[in-house]
Formats: sequence, C-alpha cells, structure tokens
Amino acid sequence: MSHAAERHHRGAAPHDAAPHEAAPQEAAPQEAAPLETGAGPIAAPDSGPDLRPGGARMERVLARETSSSRASAAIIAAILVIGLCGYALLETAVRAVGQPPWLIDPQTAADRVTALPAGVAPLLLGVTGAVVFAAGLFFFLNAVLPGRRARHVLADPRAAVVVDDEVIASALARRARLAANVTQEQVMVVVSRRQVLVNVRPTSGVPLREADVQAAVEAELRAMAPSPMPEVRVNLAASGVIGA
Amino acid sequence: MNGTPRILNRILIGILGAKLLVIGALLVLLATVPAVGSWWQGWSAEAWAGVRGLFDQTRFPGRSESWLWFVMVVLLLAVIGVMVAWLAQQGKGRANLLVAADDAGEVPGSVRIGGGVAEQALRAALADRPDLAGATVATYEFEGQPALRIRVQPRQGVAPHILATEVSALVQALDAVVGKRTPVLIHIGSGARSRFGRAERVR
Repeated sequence: MSHAAERHHRGAAPHDAAPHEAAPQEAAPQEAAPLETGAGPIAAPDSGPDLRPGGARMERVLARETSSSRASAAIIAAILVIGLCGYALLETAVRAVGQPPWLIDPQTAADRVTALPAGVAPLLLGVTGAVVFAAGLFFFLNAVLPGRRARHVLADPRAAVVVDDEVIASALARRARLAANVTQEQVMVVVSRRQVLVNVRPTSGVPLREADVQAAVEAELRAMAPSPMPEVRVNLAASGVIGA
Repeated sequence: MNGTPRILNRILIGILGAKLLVIGALLVLLATVPAVGSWWQGWSAEAWAGVRGLFDQTRFPGRSESWLWFVMVVLLLAVIGVMVAWLAQQGKGRANLLVAADDAGEVPGSVRIGGGVAEQALRAALADRPDLAGATVATYEFEGQPALRIRVQPRQGVAPHILATEVSALVQALDAVVGKRTPVLIHIGSGARSRFGRAERVR
C-alpha cells in the first residue's frame, strides 16, 4: 500500500442530514424524463458484446481510468528536451553560418566537458550532478512504477463507473459519524486500495462502541461494493473531545 | 478514456530518465572520486579528437566551416518536431459525432447525431441536482468508437453507488432517445468545488 494512493478526508455531511441519509432517491426517474422527447429511435438499441460492463472494451476503459496516463511527466519531459534542443540549435546554427557564438561556442563547450573535474568547483559540480540525478530519478520512476490512481471501480449494469477514493471516504465518514453520533470534526476516514481506516475521537463522557461504527461502515461499504473491496479498521482515540 | 499514448509516454520518459540518471551519477562521481576524473579525461579526449577529425574532413571546399553543422541543425529541428508531435498526442481523442449510421428506412442518406445532443441533455438533467457540485459530459473517441464520459462532482457525504445508479438510469433514457448504446464512463470525482463547497443538507 503506497501512501501516494491514499486520500484523507476529514468529516462528512452536516448534522441535520441524519434522518435523510437512507431516504430513497426519488429524483432520478423524473429527471430522466426530458431525455425521452419525441424523435423515435432509429433502430432498436443495439448492444455489442464489448460495450457491456465486463466486456473487453469496458475492461480497457476501466484499466485506463484507474491508472495514470503520465501525461504531465511527458509534457515536462518534452518541454525540457525542446528547450535544450532549441538552445543547441541556436548555437549550432550560429556556428554553421560562421557567426560569433551567443553564450558559448559548441567546440569550446566540448573542450570544457572533456576537461571536466578541472575548471569547475567540485561542490558546484557535485550539486549539479545531484540535481540532474534527482530529475532523472523522477522521470525514470514515472516510467517504471505502476502509477495506480486512488480510485475504485463500482459495478453497474449499463456504464463503467469509477469513483475517487476521496468520495468513498466522504460517504463512509458520514456514515461513521451518524453511527457514532459525533460531529464531523471527530471523524477522519482514510481510504486506500485495500484498506479503510476510520479514526473516531469520541465525545468525552459519552460511551462509544467500536463494533457499532465498524458494522455501520461495513454495511455502507457492502452496499457500495467497490472493487477491489477494502477491509475496514476502526480506531477509537483514547482521549475524548470536551464540549462537542 | 482519451487517446493519450500511455506506453509511448512511459518509453520516452524512461529513456530521458535513464539518460539523466547516468549523467547525474557521472557528474557526482567526477566531483568526488579522482580516479573517475582521470579516466573521464582520457576517454572523452579520445572521443572528442575523433569527432574533431570528422569535422575537419567535412569542410566546405575553400571554407573553414564543416557541413556537419548543417546536418546537426537539421537533426535538432527533427528532434524538436518529434517532441512537439508527442506533446500534441497528450489528452487527444475528443470526438464530435455520437452516431453516424445508415438509416434503415426508405429515404436515402445516413443519420448523424452530434455529441452535443448527449452532452447537453445529460448536463441539463444533472444541472439542478442539489447533491452535485458540478457535472461535465464530453464525447471521446475510444478505439475508433464514440464514447461518453460523464464526470460528476458530488458534494461531501453523498453515497457514490446511489449516485451512480441514478446517472446510469439517465444514460439508459438517453439510449432510448438516441437508439444506440454508446459506451459510457461515469467518473465520480472530487474537486475543489466539492471539497470546499457546502455539504449537501437535505434530500
């Protein structure tokens, strides 16, 4: 479990939402209505085998959505290479037409490089090397590491659904807060790929059973059924909050 | 589900990273280990002498400049061109058409439905929901086929599976209108608006 794949979430919904949290969602059918206006179908909705969730195409969509595309690192790398090549192009072009160099003549630069430990302060050389090494490490790790995003997949009969871990944490925090009957500042949920960590700080003087919170969060998680399914761990803080 | 070339990204980033790693390690070793310094001076002086000889052999007749400089200019321009092309590949894949098919009826011609139909219908259906901080719909081309990407940002504490079911119902209503099942991705995410906006109070 990597720390980069974690999302922290403090608190959840406000206090007065409690009686409504399990209310059935009545809005959906009405809101679907404006879509069904006139314009009869051209053909019966066809469903290719690879469009269904579980189909090969959907699997590929989900695989792409749960891993990073490395676009940002690619953009940085491309801009870096363009900058270096642009400067080298300037000096080379100036040299090719026999004009004086802008900053340094390519030949002089090569002479300096071949003479290297001499001519440059060792500290400067070492620090430059370290910076270049760190940049190389950044790009290399970006290329090699799996690059999983902090997301889970939900099952759905029609569409491919991915959920940010932060949203899951927010929903679970709300459920834990209702089960523990505490304010939203007293609950913190951390969702990672295989684990859900629920930290609850009870109110001083109000007893709180860990099993209640655990059962509530597990029930919510079972209804959600994210894949891969994380396991729940509840942490009750030893000290309570006064006046919450 | 955009067309970012992921494997190419990794390969090119990996090549650049490996090069920078080697250069950086060499610089650090040059600064710290004297033996590496003497080895480097010997090796690189030899290599540089070879390159220099090449430049001397390729001079323009009667002039002091070598035409290798022009070759280098062309090569550098090519590298820059390739890099720009690579940049242009990132995040591409937006499509305009949702459906382009032959009509089964007797009227000759084909039917085309723009992606804006689905985008605006779904956006309008999602716009008034109190539990969402924002919703965007975009048409992409995934593996040669149009596909819809619905990104919703629920407010804090909204159960994602219930939201997914409701959005999925909207998509099925859209299927009936368009007459074709388009691949759909629903991304329930969080952003600045859902993080710092007010939480949903009553449903």
